Amino acid sequence: MSAGTTTLAWRSLRHRPLGATATFLAVLLGTALIGSFATLVETSFTAADADTGNLVVMGAVVGGWGALIVLFSVASTVGITTTQRAAEIGLLRTIGATPRQARRLIAREAAGVAVLGAVLGALVAAGTGRLLFALLQSGGMVSDATRYDAGRASVGAAALLVLLAAGVAAAVAARRATRGPAGVLVRDSVAEQGRMRWWRVAIAVLLIGYGLGMAVITITVTAHDKDPYAAMSTSGSSSILVGVGLAVLAPVLLRWCATPVRLLSGASSSASAHLASYNTTRRAHLLSGVLAPVIVLTAAAAGTLLLVDIDTRSVPAGTPDSDTINLLNNVVVAMIALFAAIMVVNAFVATVAHRRTELERLRLLGATPRQVRGSVVAEAAVVALIGVGLGLLAALTTVVPFAIARHEGVVPDGGLWLVPAVVAAVAAVTLGSARGAVRSAVR
Amino acid sequence: MSAPVALEVQGLTRTYGEGAAGVVALAGIDLAFRRGTFTAVMGPSGSGKSTFLTCAAGLDRPTSGRVLIGGEDVTDWDEERRTTLRRERIGFVFQGFHLLPYLSAEQNIGLPRRLAGKRPDRARVRALLERVGLADRAHHLPGSLSGGQQQRVALARALVTDPDVVLADEPTGALDSATARQVLGMLRASVTDLGQTVVMVTHDPVAASYADEVVFLVDGRVAGRMAEPTADAVAGQMAHLDDLVVAR
Repeated sequence: MSAGTTTLAWRSLRHRPLGATATFLAVLLGTALIGSFATLVETSFTAADADTGNLVVMGAVVGGWGALIVLFSVASTVGITTTQRAAEIGLLRTIGATPRQARRLIAREAAGVAVLGAVLGALVAAGTGRLLFALLQSGGMVSDATRYDAGRASVGAAALLVLLAAGVAAAVAARRATRGPAGVLVRDSVAEQGRMRWWRVAIAVLLIGYGLGMAVITITVTAHDKDPYAAMSTSGSSSILVGVGLAVLAPVLLRWCATPVRLLSGASSSASAHLASYNTTRRAHLLSGVLAPVIVLTAAAAGTLLLVDIDTRSVPAGTPDSDTINLLNNVVVAMIALFAAIMVVNAFVATVAHRRTELERLRLLGATPRQVRGSVVAEAAVVALIGVGLGLLAALTTVVPFAIARHEGVVPDGGLWLVPAVVAAVAAVTLGSARGAVRSAVR
Repeated sequence: MSAPVALEVQGLTRTYGEGAAGVVALAGIDLAFRRGTFTAVMGPSGSGKSTFLTCAAGLDRPTSGRVLIGGEDVTDWDEERRTTLRRERIGFVFQGFHLLPYLSAEQNIGLPRRLAGKRPDRARVRALLERVGLADRAHHLPGSLSGGQQQRVALARALVTDPDVVLADEPTGALDSATARQVLGMLRASVTDLGQTVVMVTHDPVAASYADEVVFLVDGRVAGRMAEPTADAVAGQMAHLDDLVVAR
C-alpha cells in the first residue's frame, strides 16, 4: 500500500510539472542562499580573531534575515501548490483514500521535489559560499590570514532547515485539504470567506508588534546612543518584520482593501475589470499568495534602501564599520528582492495554472483571449496597488524612526526618489509575471 | 409555412488524426433546426454527438462541410468572429454548469453581455431569474447553490442574449432525476413560451422525451429520427440502433 502511494505520488508529479517546478525552484534557491551564508559562520570558527566578528555578523545576521524570507517563500509556495489540489484530493477520498493516505501522497510528492531541490541547492551553496568569501576578502572585510573552511556541516544544516520548512508547510496544507468529509471538495473552489486560523493571526500580531516595538525603541532609546549604528540595528529590521507580518494576513487584507478598489472601478464597463474586481474580493485566498510577496518585496526594498541612503548622508565621513554595514544592507535588499520577485512569478504561474479550466470556461462563453488575459492582468494591478500600499506602510516603521534618530525629522532629507523607483519596479514585476503566466495559458 | 432555419449543418465531417490511424467522428451530417423547435441528438458513446455540438458552436473547425447560423455561413470565420458569435448568438448549457465561482447568480447571467462590452439589462436579468425560479437567489454565489439551481442559472445565462440557438450538452447529466425534470421543463418552456431554438445532446431517453424530435446518430451518421418522442419509444429505439444502421 505504501509503495502504491509512492507510485501514485510519482505519477501525479509527472502530470503536474508546473506546480512541482515552483516548489523545486524555491527550495533550490533557498538552500543555495541560506547555505552560502551558513558557510561564513562555519568558516568563522577557524578564522583569525579579527575576522570572526565580521564573518559571524555577515553569516548569522544577514543569513538569518535571508532565512526568514526564504523559509516564508518556500512555505508559501508549497502551501499554494497543495491547496490548489483540493478538488483532486476530494476525488481521491470519494473513491476510498483515507485522509491519512491523501496526506501521505501530498507529503511524498512534496518530499521528492524538495529533497531534489535541496541537494542541488546544497551543491550550488558549496560553490557560492566560496565565492561570497572571496568577495569579502577582496573587499578587505576579511583579512588574508583567514582561509575558507566550511563544507558539509553548514550547507547540510541549511538544506535541512529548508526541508523542514517545506515539510511543515506541506503538512499544514495537507491537513487543511483533508479536513472535513470526503467528496465535499469535488466542487468548484468556492469563494472562500473563511476566517484565518488563530495561530496565523497570532504570528502576524507578534511580527508586527515586534517591528513596531523596535521602531519605538529606536526613537526613545537607541537614537540617543553614542554609536550611530545602534539606531540602525534596532530599526533596520522593522520594515521586514512588519512586512512579513502583513503578508501573513494577506488573504484578509486583500479582501478588505479590494472592496474599495472595486467600488472605484465600478464605473468601468470593461468586462475584464468587472471579472477582476470580483475575483480579488471573493477569492482572496487564491490571490493572497501573490499579494504576500509583493508586500514583503516593497517593504524590504523601500525600507532598507532608504535606510542606507539616510545613513550615507548623515555619517559622511563614515566609521570603520560603514562599508561593511552598507554592503550587508545592500546584500539583504538584493537577496530579498530576488526572492520576493521569484515568489511573485511562482505564485502567478501557479494561480493561473490552477485556474486554467475556469479561464477556458470564459472562452467558451465568448470572452476573447484579450479579455481573459485582461482580467488576469487587471487582478495583478489590484494586487500590485494594494501590495505596494501596504509595503510602503511597513517601510515607514524603519524609515521614520531612523530618520528621527539621525536628526532628519519624520521625513528623510533626501532619497525620496527611491520610493517611486521601488514602486515602479514592483509593479513591473507583478504585471509582467501576470502577463507572462496568462499568455502561455490562454492563446 | 415553416419557420426559418436557426442552425444548419451541411455535409459535416470531422476526422481526428491523419491517414489510416485517423478516427472519423462525423462522416457527413446534414441537419437543419427550425426556429422555435426543441431537438434532442442521441446516440451511443462515440457516435459523434459531442463533436457535432462543438463544430456547430464554432469551438472546433469541421474537416469539411458547412455550418450556418441564422442563415449565415460561419464555417470559415476567424477565431475573433467566432468568439463574438458564441457570446451573442449562441447560448450554452453544459453538463458541468460552467458558472464562474466568484460571480453571483445575477452576475453570471449578465456575463455574456459584459463580455460584449455592454452593461447587463437589469430588468432582463431579473425576469430570467424569476423565470428559472431563483429570484430570491440573485446574490448567491454558485458555491451556495444546489446543482439544479446552478444549472438553472446557466440556463438563464444561455437565454440572456436572446440567441439564435441554445446548445445543451448533457444538461441533466450531473443532476438527480427530480431536478433534471425541473431543468428540462424550463428548457421546454423556453421553446414553447419564448420561441427559442434548443438543440440538446443527451443519452437519457427521459430527457429526449421533452423534445419535439429526436435525431439518432450512429458512427458519425444520422441513423434515424423520431417525432413526438416518448421516453419508452426512445429507450426502445436506443436498444435497437443496430437495426437503424442495417435499415439504412
